[in-house]
Amino acid sequence: MNTLRHILLVAYRDFMQRAKSRAFLISMVVIIGLVAAVGPLMAFEMRDPAPYDIGAVGLQPEGLREALAASAGAFDRAVKVTSYVALEEGEAAVESGSADVLIVGGAELVWNEEPSLQLASIVTAAVQGIDRRQVIADLGLTAEEAASLLNPSPPGSRTLNDPDPEAGPKQVAAFAGAIILYISILLFGQFVMMGVMEEKSSRVVEVVLSRVRPHELLAGKVLGIGILGLAQLLIMGAAALFTVSLFDIADVDLGALSLRVLLSIVFWYLIGFAFFSVAYAALGATVSRQEDAQSVAMLPAMLLLPGYFISLTTPEHPDSAISTIASIVPPLSPLVMPIRAAVTDVPLWELLVSIGLVLSATYLLIRLGGRIYKGSILKIGAKVRLRDAWKAAGQ
Amino acid sequence: MLSLVGLHKSFGEVVALDGAGFDVEPGRIVGFLGPNGAGKTTAMRCVFGLVNPDAGTVTWNGKPVDHDDRIRFGYMPEERGLYPKMKIGEQLAYFGRLSGLGRVEAATEAATWLGQLGLADRSLSKLEELSHGNQQRVQLAASLVHKPRLAVLDEPFAGLDPLGVEAMADILRSLADSGMGVVFSSHQLDLVEDVCQDVVIIDRGRVMVSGTLEGLKSKSEHLHLEVTVDGREWDPQISGASSAGNARDKNRYLVDRDIDLQQLLERAQADGTVTRFSVEPPRLSDIFREAVRR
Repeated sequence: MNTLRHILLVAYRDFMQRAKSRAFLISMVVIIGLVAAVGPLMAFEMRDPAPYDIGAVGLQPEGLREALAASAGAFDRAVKVTSYVALEEGEAAVESGSADVLIVGGAELVWNEEPSLQLASIVTAAVQGIDRRQVIADLGLTAEEAASLLNPSPPGSRTLNDPDPEAGPKQVAAFAGAIILYISILLFGQFVMMGVMEEKSSRVVEVVLSRVRPHELLAGKVLGIGILGLAQLLIMGAAALFTVSLFDIADVDLGALSLRVLLSIVFWYLIGFAFFSVAYAALGATVSRQEDAQSVAMLPAMLLLPGYFISLTTPEHPDSAISTIASIVPPLSPLVMPIRAAVTDVPLWELLVSIGLVLSATYLLIRLGGRIYKGSILKIGAKVRLRDAWKAAGQ
Repeated sequence: MLSLVGLHKSFGEVVALDGAGFDVEPGRIVGFLGPNGAGKTTAMRCVFGLVNPDAGTVTWNGKPVDHDDRIRFGYMPEERGLYPKMKIGEQLAYFGRLSGLGRVEAATEAATWLGQLGLADRSLSKLEELSHGNQQRVQLAASLVHKPRLAVLDEPFAGLDPLGVEAMADILRSLADSGMGVVFSSHQLDLVEDVCQDVVIIDRGRVMVSGTLEGLKSKSEHLHLEVTVDGREWDPQISGASSAGNARDKNRYLVDRDIDLQQLLERAQADGTVTRFSVEPPRLSDIFREAVRR
C-alpha cells in the first residue's frame, strides 16, 4: 500500500513540476499552434485552382471557346480565353506568364518553356474536335451519324474491388501520426532521463531514497512524465481533429478516421513510452553530469530511429516485408505497428504477437533497467559503467 | 532504540565496515566520530537500506528495520541536496507526505518548520533562490518535517557559521528533549563534546570506543595536566607524558592516571612559584586520538 502511495506521490510531483515549467508550456503552445495551423494552410493550398489563361491570335475556328471550356471541364478545370490582335502581343503575354499558352490560327500552340501536359491535352482535344467536326460536315453526314462518330459509346467498365476512398486520407493521417509518435516518445523519454539526472546531480536522490525504494521512485517518475506526454498527445490530437474538421472529402468520415488513428497512436505511445523511458531512466542514472548525458542519450535514440524511418515509409508500403517485420519486432514495433494498422488491415495474430513481444521486452527491460538504476543512482561523480551498476545492485 | 550489530560491508577490495555496531537510545544524542573513510557514512546508509550490509543487522526496538520503520526515521545525508527549482514550502510538504503524513498535516508541519527557521515568508521561494545558510536549514527541516522517532544526521554542522552551529546544536538538544534519539557524525570534536551525551568512535570500519561521554572520560587511563611556574608553562619532563598536541593546547600534557601528583607538584615548586596546577579529565579530542592512534 505504501508502494502505490509512494509511486503516486512521486508521479504527481514530477508531473506538476514539469507541467508548470515555462519551457514546457511554451513548447506546448507552439506545438498546438502548429498542428492547428496545418488545417487552414492545407485548405488554402487545396482551394480550386485558378482557370487556365489561354491566348488566341489569328483566325479562330468557330466554337473554339466552347470546345476549350468543355474539354477543360473534363479535368475539373476552367479556362479564360483572351484574343490578341498581333502574334507579338500574344507571344509577349505567354513570356510574361499572363497567358499559359497561345493558340495561333487554331492550329499551332506556343508555350513559354515546358508545355503543361494537362493544358496541352485540353487544347489539343478542343482543336482536334473542331477539326473533326469540320471533316464530318464536309462528308455530308446526317446529324445522327455525325453524333455517333464524334461521341462513340464508351466501353462498359467495372471494378473487381471497390476503391477505398479513405486510402489517401489514411496515408496522410498515418504519416502525421508517425511523426507525432516519434517526437512524443523521444521528448518524454528524454524528460525522464533529465529528471533522473537532475535528482542525482542535485544530490536530492539520497534524501528521497531514504523514504522511497528505488523501484518506487523509478516507477513514479515514468508514470508522471508518461501521463504528461499522454496529456500533450491528447491535446495535440484534439488540435489535429479541429484541423481535420475544416476539410470535407466525399465518402470519407475524416473525423472518425482521424480519431481511429489517434487512438491507435495513443495505445502504442503508452507501450513505446514504457519501453523507452525505462531505458532512458536506467542510462540517466549512470551519469551525474550534463556532458556525460549527451553520450548516454544516444543509445535509446539509436534504438528509436530505425523504427521511425521505417514508420515514415509505412503509409505508402504498409505490407512490404520490412514494414511487416518491423511492426512485429521490438523495439521497432511501437513506432511501426500503429502506422501500419492505420493504413491496412493487419491480421489479428500479427497484432497480438507484436503486442506480446513488446510487452515481454518491456518487462525484461524494466527488470534490467531497474537494476541498473538501483545500482547507479547513488554513485555520484564519474559515469557508472553498466556492468558495475549491475553488480552493485546485486550486493 | 536503534541497534547496529556487527555490520560488515566491502566495496570490492575496500572494507568500509568491519563488524561495527552501536546503539542509539531514545532521548539521547550520540556523537558518531571517526577519521575520513572510517565508515561513518556507510553505517548511516545501512540504517536506511541505501547500502545493504554483507553481514550484521540493524534493528529498531529489537526487530529488523523495515521500510515502514525507515520512513519514520529522519535522515540528513552528507551530500546535501534538495530540488533546486521547487518551492520550499511545497518541497517540505512533499517530503512529509513521502514519510507518511497526510496532505493537510504535511502542509502544516512544513509551515511550522519554516516558521521556526525564520523562513515563513519564503515559503513560495524556490530552493535555489535562498542563501547557502538558509538552504542548509531547509535541508534539516526536510529530514525532520515528519516528526521522526530517530534522527540520523551526517555532518549536520559542516559548512555552518558559528551562529548556525549554535542554532543547530539547540535544535538537536530540543529534539532529544522531546524523546527522539539523535545520532550525528562530525569532525568538530569540541562541538560534539558540547552537544552529545554518548560517543561512538569508529576507525577502519570498527567501533574503537563507545559509551557515555562522562563514562569514557572517567574510564580513560589518562589525565590532562597543565602547570604554570613563575607565569610560564612548565614541562613535567616525565616519561609517558605527551603534549596534548594541537597548537592551542601545546602546554597541556596527557599523563597516566596513576601518576604521583604530589611528587609532580613538589618538583614544580622546586622550579619556582607554582601559579597554576590543573588536573582534568581528558577531553574528547584526547579520547579520539587515543582511539584512532595508528
